[in-house]
Amino acid sequence: MTAQRDTDGTLGDMGSIVDPADVLGGPSVGAFDDHHPPDAALIGDCVHCGFCLPTCPTYVLWSEEMDSPRGRIYLMKEGLEGEPMSDSMVGHFDACLGCMACVTACPSGVQYDRLIEQTRAQVERRHERSPGDKALRGLIFSIFPHPRRLRLLRGPLRVLQRTRLDKAMRRTGLLDRVAPQLAAMERLAPRLGKPQPLPERIAAQGERRMTVGMLVGCVQGAFFPGVNAATARVLRAEGCEVVVPPSQGCCGALSVHNGREAEGQDYARVLVDAFDEAGVERIVVNAAGCGSTMKEYAELLADDPAYAERAAAFAERVRDVSEILVELGPVAPRHPLEVTVAYHDACHLAHAQGVRSQPRELLRAIPGLELKEIAEGDLCCGSAGVYNILNPEPAQELGDRKARNIVATGAELLVTANPGCLMQVTSSIERSGHPMGMAHTLEVLDASIRGAPVAELL
Amino acid sequence: MSSSPATTAPAPESVDQRIAAVADVARRLLPEEGVITDRARLRTYECDGLAHYRVTPALVVVPETAEQLAEVVRACADHAVPYVARGSGTGLSGGALPHAEGVLVVTSRMREIREVRREDQRAVVEPGVINLDVTRAATPHGYYYAPDPSSQQICSIGGNVAENSGGAHCLKYGFTANHVLGADFVAPDGEHVPLGGMAPDAPGYDLLGAVIGSEGTLGIVTTVTVRLTRLPEEVRTLLVGFASTDQAGAATSAIIAAGIVPAAIEMMDALAIEAAEAAVRCNYPDGAGAVLVIELDGSVHDVEAEFSDVERLCREHGSFEQRLATDPADRALIWKGRKSAFAAVGRISPDYIVQDGVIPRTALPEVLSRIAALSEESGVRVANVFHAGDGNLHPLVLFDDAVEGAGDAAEKVSGAILDLCIEHGGSITGEHGVGMDKAKYMPRMYSDDDLDTMQLVRCAFDPHHLSNPGKLFPTPRLCGEVPGRKKAPHPLQAAGLAEVF
Amino acid sequence: MAASTTTDLDGAREALTSVCGRVGELEEASDGVDGVRPGLVAGPNDVDQVAAVMRVCSERGLSVVPRGRGTKLTWGTPPASADVLLDLSALDRVLDHQAGDLILATQAGVRLADVQSVAAEGGQRLTLDETVPGGSVGGMLATNASGPRRQAVGTARDLLIGITVVRHDGVVAKAGGRVVKNVAGYDLGKLLVGSFGTLGVIVDATFRLHPVPAATRWVSAAFDGPARAHELVQAAVHSQVVPAAVELEQDEQGGRVHVLLEGRPDGVAGRTEALRALLGPDATDAEEPPAGGAAYPWDLAATGDERDTALKTTFALSGLPDVLGALGDLDGLRLRGSAGVGVLYAALPHRTAPADVAATVERLRGVCGRHGGSVVVVDAPAAVKDAVDPWGPVPALALMRRVKEQFDPDHRLSPGRFVGGI
Repeated sequence: MTAQRDTDGTLGDMGSIVDPADVLGGPSVGAFDDHHPPDAALIGDCVHCGFCLPTCPTYVLWSEEMDSPRGRIYLMKEGLEGEPMSDSMVGHFDACLGCMACVTACPSGVQYDRLIEQTRAQVERRHERSPGDKALRGLIFSIFPHPRRLRLLRGPLRVLQRTRLDKAMRRTGLLDRVAPQLAAMERLAPRLGKPQPLPERIAAQGERRMTVGMLVGCVQGAFFPGVNAATARVLRAEGCEVVVPPSQGCCGALSVHNGREAEGQDYARVLVDAFDEAGVERIVVNAAGCGSTMKEYAELLADDPAYAERAAAFAERVRDVSEILVELGPVAPRHPLEVTVAYHDACHLAHAQGVRSQPRELLRAIPGLELKEIAEGDLCCGSAGVYNILNPEPAQELGDRKARNIVATGAELLVTANPGCLMQVTSSIERSGHPMGMAHTLEVLDASIRGAPVAELL
Repeated sequence: MSSSPATTAPAPESVDQRIAAVADVARRLLPEEGVITDRARLRTYECDGLAHYRVTPALVVVPETAEQLAEVVRACADHAVPYVARGSGTGLSGGALPHAEGVLVVTSRMREIREVRREDQRAVVEPGVINLDVTRAATPHGYYYAPDPSSQQICSIGGNVAENSGGAHCLKYGFTANHVLGADFVAPDGEHVPLGGMAPDAPGYDLLGAVIGSEGTLGIVTTVTVRLTRLPEEVRTLLVGFASTDQAGAATSAIIAAGIVPAAIEMMDALAIEAAEAAVRCNYPDGAGAVLVIELDGSVHDVEAEFSDVERLCREHGSFEQRLATDPADRALIWKGRKSAFAAVGRISPDYIVQDGVIPRTALPEVLSRIAALSEESGVRVANVFHAGDGNLHPLVLFDDAVEGAGDAAEKVSGAILDLCIEHGGSITGEHGVGMDKAKYMPRMYSDDDLDTMQLVRCAFDPHHLSNPGKLFPTPRLCGEVPGRKKAPHPLQAAGLAEVF
Repeated sequence: MAASTTTDLDGAREALTSVCGRVGELEEASDGVDGVRPGLVAGPNDVDQVAAVMRVCSERGLSVVPRGRGTKLTWGTPPASADVLLDLSALDRVLDHQAGDLILATQAGVRLADVQSVAAEGGQRLTLDETVPGGSVGGMLATNASGPRRQAVGTARDLLIGITVVRHDGVVAKAGGRVVKNVAGYDLGKLLVGSFGTLGVIVDATFRLHPVPAATRWVSAAFDGPARAHELVQAAVHSQVVPAAVELEQDEQGGRVHVLLEGRPDGVAGRTEALRALLGPDATDAEEPPAGGAAYPWDLAATGDERDTALKTTFALSGLPDVLGALGDLDGLRLRGSAGVGVLYAALPHRTAPADVAATVERLRGVCGRHGGSVVVVDAPAAVKDAVDPWGPVPALALMRRVKEQFDPDHRLSPGRFVGGI
């Protein structure tokens, strides 16, 4: 028999796939260098049970071990054991959407989110990408985290001409990839109205119950200014004094999720400074991806002596807006909205932050509103930050799958809490030929509090 | 039948040549991503759910159709290449451990539910279909697929067939073997053989009965016809807290003695409860030395009456808290604690062995106290999770491999528990299978004559030992002269390592 | 092929007498094994003697046909040869009944009825019906005979948890064990069940038991044609009343569907009402089973050419109307069976011409085949068995032959009684 137990002595344990004691300490020789390689102790938590597989969008699409969380953790382990960082290995790390559905599903508590972040930082530093891939990534990160540039993108062709990016984009294929998303944004834009810059400080209606700082975000601020306005109105109506620090910028989520660690840290420091000066009790976020990253600033800035402590205190105060509203409890009266709603869990809200019940609770509390659950609700829609631009094919497959499940609910209005999801699902639903209304949870809540007609949302 | 590889090959091929030949066939049949040769990728397949056995396969093939799968198996037969079938890779006995000089045939892309036939109470599915997905597909018709291993959210039907998987509800509803009526089967010579069918009692030997639970050593199923079971009108799930496993065990016996056959009776001891709480916050009763999860299902008329009997019997045997799940969400949470228990133990111990043994249920108190004594003597902690209704124990033997000798001590305790099972007339495995892990224990349960007789089946199906070789049986045995074939002495035989059987 | 009548029987008798309790000749009145008279009858008293007999037969190349209580010896095809009839009726001990574990171990020669009396002492039963009165456990296993209660718990293959067999060469082997849940090793029991004595001699068996239900109730409804019969059966199987049996019978008097409900009295009462509502205003209920009970529709007392042609038809449930339609117009036909699982037994009167039977069977094979099933001629007069292959086409025959080759390389165990001449 050719089977051997523990041939190389790396493993001695029965339940775990790697023994931290054997991997820690020695200099890394394989895929990873010594600067925060994927943590062997965290890898060791994986018992290879496979419960994560059916929750993983890429496993659902391709049914291959190496495109599952368990497989990717195994690839990390291989890297620690000396396997080189090959193109194939990187390809499987890149293919991860970072949706964190596996983290929710894992009975052993494996922190895959930490592991993939550590791995991606190593990949960005150590892996030589093809020139086209490099250019595409460079371009994305020169636009998306910058609210001002993003705002300019609202008239995409005009922007392309003005910034002379059109040639570069055509070379990289970015135009083809971004175009459908831009088209979707544009389709949404008129309904959302003109950008409405929020004042720096908005007083609470009635008795002040809490002072909160509000993140306006990049994509949210640029393409869904109405969501920010609605958020501010709802918070005010529920007795919050809302502070909107003008010095805030990007939260760094897109950078961190794509292994651009240093860039992400820079964004984080700016944001910590901005909100520290505001002196607020809570920092409220209405974009799932931003919230999940901001809650992890403690880890992100742990190595920075000047910021570590402040970042931890900052992260402690971060809440998704639905969490705050449920925590405070409603004071503003709700007006009926006779509408059937399908609520889509944004991965970075449901899986990364564990916020599932709060948005549903808020929606259910609206008289006349009927809430439908979406089949395969835990499965990512394929947006995943900028994943749909970097990996358009799987993203589209997932989007179409999501659209089918949403349409099957028969709901009139799709509600979700993340700008990326909203854009992705919009384009998929348009493709499906069953157009329906789309809104952020807070827009629905705002409409109910204002007593606005349902038609405003549809 | 294809001709014998030993006679057709003019000159013996090297291992690399033979693997390359199979890979060529596979590449002709499959898209690029269906044939895996890249080392980093191959290595992600080097173990199944039992991760301490690891072998890198020479080649991984991921077919999408039965025809492709059969062609690959035929190529293996033609080139005398061993192969191992793998579904979702969740097995806990190393049954899908690859062969270093062989092909791993992965069925994960054969995942279509072909038909759900309510009128016939059947579904026809491909082997890569996930167990729970069969139930999901049948539920709108008022039906479900009864066998429910704890890994049902990911384990595949093909894997269930190989392992004859059970689950918490097999106490009342039986195992995979009782719910699989037919299969298209690819024998180790690459031939398609239909076994059983839509109707029961197909004439001839019950080859399907032999294939189910044969752990992939007889061949690979490519379509499976399963029985669908009517969703019960009423289900009540009761979570009962006891001070000790003795009390919980006595309550179990009393329930069975009262003539009640619950859908499930599951027991967890204090340590297992602690792990489950840490993992899924299932909110089991505080301070319980043991909990029982008792599920009653059936007609509303019977369940109600049985339920009050069960409540009373539990009370009479010392239960201090009883909690009835009143809605599907509560039920799901109770079951989540139980079904996550194995992996959840990772929260309270760096390393652990999941053991699987069976005893006659009446021996439960005796065996549990012996396990406790073993644990006491050795200082090795043991968490107990089991299907109390049918005596299927899953002791979880905890250790920290960073501590010198801890792994060996744990393995000793784990082995001693199996000896206890055998001593009480039980089995070395109730549902995880023998695989790689327990082949060495087979002679403790069966005599040489018993094992030789089982080998007759193997020789009929797979005379050249190409299908999942090295699993299930402790020593390699060769099949006698195969009718119509002439072959040179097997190398193992020539070397005196194996006897001709 | 198998040993023939030229074998030296006197030598064999001597050798067998030295190892076996009873050795003799078949009583004159018996017609042997479906008309084939055995040279000798060996009646071992225990498993060791069975093994010794098998060794002697192996050494001398004698063919062996095992017999339990001799109630189903005419089933299948007649053996090509039967040098020794192995009479297992002395293996008549129930070995163990563990009521707390719901298991029972018994020797193969024990009558099923006797097993039931032992189990009943603990308030339990082996949930298998006695379809032929007086039959043994071993015979029931070898033929996989089943009755109405298979609806809920399956047949012998589903309830058998351990088995001991004596091989052609006298080696005694066991598989499975004494616990309900056990996946260690191949399930030889499944292979042996229904193998008609062609793979080995079953000497003991261990079963899982069920509690005897406190109450039983039969709910019956008449039907006037295949469509209504199908409606009734579908109503029963898709209902929430958890039927323990869904039987159908049809004869000159018409057709009825009978549904058995078992369990607690309060539960059965409630379910009876629910089921009556489903089966229509004419449905009736009774505590007693319908006349005929679990028995087959053919005349069990008849022998030789007086025997009815006994058919077993199987089909996916949706095929019931077609199968009933195909059977419906046959003269003198009697039907009974477990329609709820897709099994119907049919009796054609012995006077039916063999050629007509053959044509009918071929036609039925077409219908049942289209519905995923088959037709087996369980028993019939010799002329009928000559006119039609009782077993019919068997798709996996090549693989079955390879199994037979391994278990009985000299083809001495019940040679020719089984599918494809195995």
